Amino acid sequence: MVEQAQNGPAKGQPSAARQRSDLGTVLKVSAAALVVLGVAPFFLDIYTVNILIRALLLAALALTVDLLWGYTGILTFGQSAFFGIGAYACALVFTHWGFGAGWAILALALGVLAAMAVAGLAGWLAFYHGASPLYGSIVTLALPIVVTQVVFAGGRTTGSSSGLSGFPTYYWTIETWFWIAGAFLVVVTALAWLFVRSDMGRVLVAIRENETRCAYLGIPVSRIKILLFVAAGAIGAVAGFGYAAFTNVVAPELTGFLLGTELLIWVALGGRGTLIGPVIGAIFIDVTSSYLSGSLPFYWKLLVGILFVVVIVALPQGLMPEVTKLWRRLVPGAKRAAETPALERAPVREVRRGVEKPLAVSGVHRHFGSLQVLQGIDFVANEGELLSLVGPNGAGKTTLIRCLADGYERSGGDITVFGRELGRWPPDRCVALGIGRKFQTANVFATLTVAECLRVSRYRLEPPSLWTSDTALELPEAALRIVEETGLAQSLDTEARHLAHGQKQALELAMVLALEPRIVLLDEPTAGLTRIERERIGAILTSLTERERLSILLVEHDLDFVREISSRVIVLHQGQIVLDGSVEEVVGSALVREIYAGTAMDGKGNEP
Amino acid sequence: MTKTRTANLAGALAVATVLGLGGGAMAAETIKIGIPVGLSGANSVVAPSVVQAAELAAAEINKAGGVLGRQIELVVADDGSGAQGAQKAFDSLVFQKKVDVLISMETSAARNAGLPIVNRGRVPFIYTSFYEGRSCSPWLYVNAWVPEQQVAPIVDHFMSAEGAKTFFLVGSDYAFGRGMLEFTADYIAQKGGKVLGDEYLPMDGTDWTAIISKLKSSGADALITSTAGGAPNVTLTKQLRAAGVDIPYGNLAVDEGTARNMGADAAGIYISASYITDIPSQENQAFLRNMKAHFGDDLKTPNDLSVPQYEGVYLYKLAVEKAGTTDSQAVIDALDDVAFMGPRGKIQMNKQRHAPLTMYLAQVQADGGIRLISSFKDVDPGEQCPNL
Amino acid sequence: MGGLLLDILTTAAILFAVASGLMIILGVMKLINFAHGAFLTIGGYAAFVTTQLGWNPWLAVPFAALVGFVLGLIVERTIVRPLYTRPLDAILATWGLGIIIGQVITIVFGREVQFVQSPISGAIEFLGQSYSTYRLVLVALAALLAVALTALLYFTRFGLNARAVIMNEDLARGLGIDSTRVRLTTFGLGAALASMAGALVTPLISVDPNLGLPWLVNSFMLVLVSGISIPGLMVASLILGGAQVVVSTYVSAILGGLTIVVLAAVILRLRPQGLFSG
Repeated sequence: MVEQAQNGPAKGQPSAARQRSDLGTVLKVSAAALVVLGVAPFFLDIYTVNILIRALLLAALALTVDLLWGYTGILTFGQSAFFGIGAYACALVFTHWGFGAGWAILALALGVLAAMAVAGLAGWLAFYHGASPLYGSIVTLALPIVVTQVVFAGGRTTGSSSGLSGFPTYYWTIETWFWIAGAFLVVVTALAWLFVRSDMGRVLVAIRENETRCAYLGIPVSRIKILLFVAAGAIGAVAGFGYAAFTNVVAPELTGFLLGTELLIWVALGGRGTLIGPVIGAIFIDVTSSYLSGSLPFYWKLLVGILFVVVIVALPQGLMPEVTKLWRRLVPGAKRAAETPALERAPVREVRRGVEKPLAVSGVHRHFGSLQVLQGIDFVANEGELLSLVGPNGAGKTTLIRCLADGYERSGGDITVFGRELGRWPPDRCVALGIGRKFQTANVFATLTVAECLRVSRYRLEPPSLWTSDTALELPEAALRIVEETGLAQSLDTEARHLAHGQKQALELAMVLALEPRIVLLDEPTAGLTRIERERIGAILTSLTERERLSILLVEHDLDFVREISSRVIVLHQGQIVLDGSVEEVVGSALVREIYAGTAMDGKGNEP
Repeated sequence: MTKTRTANLAGALAVATVLGLGGGAMAAETIKIGIPVGLSGANSVVAPSVVQAAELAAAEINKAGGVLGRQIELVVADDGSGAQGAQKAFDSLVFQKKVDVLISMETSAARNAGLPIVNRGRVPFIYTSFYEGRSCSPWLYVNAWVPEQQVAPIVDHFMSAEGAKTFFLVGSDYAFGRGMLEFTADYIAQKGGKVLGDEYLPMDGTDWTAIISKLKSSGADALITSTAGGAPNVTLTKQLRAAGVDIPYGNLAVDEGTARNMGADAAGIYISASYITDIPSQENQAFLRNMKAHFGDDLKTPNDLSVPQYEGVYLYKLAVEKAGTTDSQAVIDALDDVAFMGPRGKIQMNKQRHAPLTMYLAQVQADGGIRLISSFKDVDPGEQCPNL
Repeated sequence: MGGLLLDILTTAAILFAVASGLMIILGVMKLINFAHGAFLTIGGYAAFVTTQLGWNPWLAVPFAALVGFVLGLIVERTIVRPLYTRPLDAILATWGLGIIIGQVITIVFGREVQFVQSPISGAIEFLGQSYSTYRLVLVALAALLAVALTALLYFTRFGLNARAVIMNEDLARGLGIDSTRVRLTTFGLGAALASMAGALVTPLISVDPNLGLPWLVNSFMLVLVSGISIPGLMVASLILGGAQVVVSTYVSAILGGLTIVVLAAVILRLRPQGLFSG
């Protein structure tokens, strides 16, 4: 398993030979799809081809909604805004400036750039560190409304409520337009398919599953979301451009909030996070409603509404997974062979040792309104030290851990990590300084496999490929040991949600260690573990400090466990350090006994 | 992916066979008239009356033996009163239902969106709604009024009979609203009046608060509005009335039917129209009788938008008979020459694809009925499409 | 100037009345009800039915509230209840519900604008100028609504339970409060308030199947900015509604239409918990 390590790749650059991709399959399927699209116009009547062209372009837009919502968990109402921007770029340039190949390229470029700029701005507003998912949705909700009003305010330039029509455009045959739209959709779908199946695609799912954990794994969540939003905006603008050039009409509805919600309906019905489901959903519903809007307009819309509610309530994953399930049942062997990555030992990185203190904290305080939770915290953590933070409930232990792992958390004071100032930084930048944090409750990515969880944790050290996935999983010695000793190595293909509680805790610890941190913050790592598991974790922690010279900060309630493994103990009480000394000093301290006894007494009234 | 896409296309094909080709089989026997109309959205108030007018014309023609021995079939499609819906409706009528002609009352937004499809599909299109003017296409004829015909009676009346010197203009922000009010502003200036302000709200806007306050503080002598039909017209009128605005109020976009729907709120509004139910002519009396007989209690009040639709069907019939065929180009050539004596009088679309019309100035009464004030015979539409 | 102040005050009153139902549901149930617009529409049609039956136009308000309450209870039981743990999905499901309600209304009543009798029309002299009587009445009604809601939350058993659920649902359940029942009643109440508001605004807007939609997003923004409290919503309505009137008056009525949305997005960026919480 490990023998390949010596001819392993250079730092952070997985070799091409190890990359697995769906490219072959995707090319084959795309080629087949193109053939179908190529001959389809000859078998369909002109009306169907006509509405299919629009549906194909809208399907590409729906695809971007799936990337954002289905994969990354960003509920967006706003993709119609980008579609509209692309469409209006086409209409405005052709109407007011000129028409021709050069103008068309200019219009497309303007549309895409404008959409990307708007997406960047909206993304910057929506996806700041600490933003709630709801806030992101609010911004995406405001976006199409703002763009629509801008169109309204444009008077004669944008045609206001009437929109623009009759501008010069390419009056190619309907088949040509169909092929253009079809090829565009196939290309976008194929690229999106490769993208979501790549290692980067796993990162998107990780963000959807647990954004906080991602941030503390050094993944720049905000930046990824913004870039994805910008890319989705660009695709949407291209689709909108095609739509306007083909239909020769743009209207405010194209940018509107209602189209944005329709996209969500198509994606939800098709199956979020399946790519193909939303594409089929968009095409099917748009085409069918074109047919039925003449004869059964209200009943059709009513039916879609009912179906939508039923799917959201009862089948949140949409119809596609049901189809896939059926397919697998009917066609034995259709299930994809699991691709278990080979575990490999990551090359050891050179670090300077013993030059600077890993962690120096001075004058750190934290308050919530008038409530002082931490004040005047000063301490230093050394290499190879296992430093336990103890104290009664509400002493400020977890708050202190937070202040160390997220530069925004503290109200004041200085934190220095290996001689470098920890600024007002989001957690992902703190990780880059060498800080790894494990949460109190096991915090893993429920729908990712064990291997994928670990791979995602390597984001910073081995930037994931956008188009392929690595066939090997490189882990540092420490993480590898946990994976092998706790039996996780045998469950690499198991989804994390199916693991036992102890295994989840071990997995999270392995994920943190996969960051190759030099300071590890652990918040009650043994909570809820069996005695044997606890002992195993204790042994691992001790060896990490001794062998790897890591500096570990441990918040722990179990004082016996603290006594067994700590090299030093800090006692917190009412937000202040009351004692900082060896295990013996703390155990022997009358003050500490008093504190614990005191809170135990008045704790009766306070604690739930 | 291939499999699912194939299945999807096959599904679409099946739908097409059932709906599209099934309809196509009848094309040889009947003449199909496509009617894209705003059954939903802003025009939903008047659309039912428009459909009724077309239905009566078709029923009368079919009863009398049809056109060139062929029966007329109406194909109605909802255009949602907007560009997006119009595209679907026009696409469906032109390419799926393969209609021989389009005769329709629509918003300007819908008409503009539909015209490229009409040009592509090469189908004659008789537009039966009053509008802002100067919409020109080789396939388009218009038999309803344009600003040149409609604005003058109201402005003239306000200036002479009501002594108004200053005006305030309010509209929906779309081709019709802006086009009408720009023409109105020019006309007022030409007559020596003054426009104190012009304000617009998007077609889906519902809150006229700020605009009404501006109107009130402007101290204008008279108000002229030009909104999209239906909801915007209703919200504006309700809010004007709730705000106690009682200066002379000319509405360029209201019809008798909508006025009735607004109840007491519409009382006092001046309208200028090419059709009002009170026209005493024999043709109009017969038309009203037949409508009543045909639709009974379901009758929607005939109005300035529905009557041109009725006449449009007849004009098409006459053109087909003159051409001896439903061939698009032949019909387009013949449409210039035919004239029909309808409820509005003699209609012939021979002035650059538009028609000279007799215009009526009237005022809505508290009971929803309207009172005729004066009429203006054969008003010319002016320069609309000099190149056609 | 006086006219501008009255415009601001009356606009704020309307916004407050329209948004209160959404706020009650979000506050107690942590659930964003995107069917809010549809419940407004239901209120408008309740007013239409009142007119059809020849009742006094004022009866439209309690009648709409009753219809909204009953429908709210049904909806909570059938659609909303499974979605408490999935807040973003709840937005989507209630949006779908809005589509269903809109289509059913269209099938029953048709797509066209309906005529509804106004209880009051015309203007009266107020603060030295003539102003819409009905809009002034709406201010009084909105104030009454605020008082009634406050009383409901602070002086009734339901209010006590609801506040307990707002603060800590698990604890409330532990104390024997039937939180399921509180949720049910709350949703009914929120729907009733929305319908009532729908009936109240009918003298100013056209009654058609899309009546409620334009109000939905603005209500949503106001509620988030309010920080979920009754005085907060009043202030948010005044500030954002006032900004809308000012922009509509001095800049452009069209840009006025996006004032609330843009301001709310900016305010929430700076103060994610809304203006008036914590």
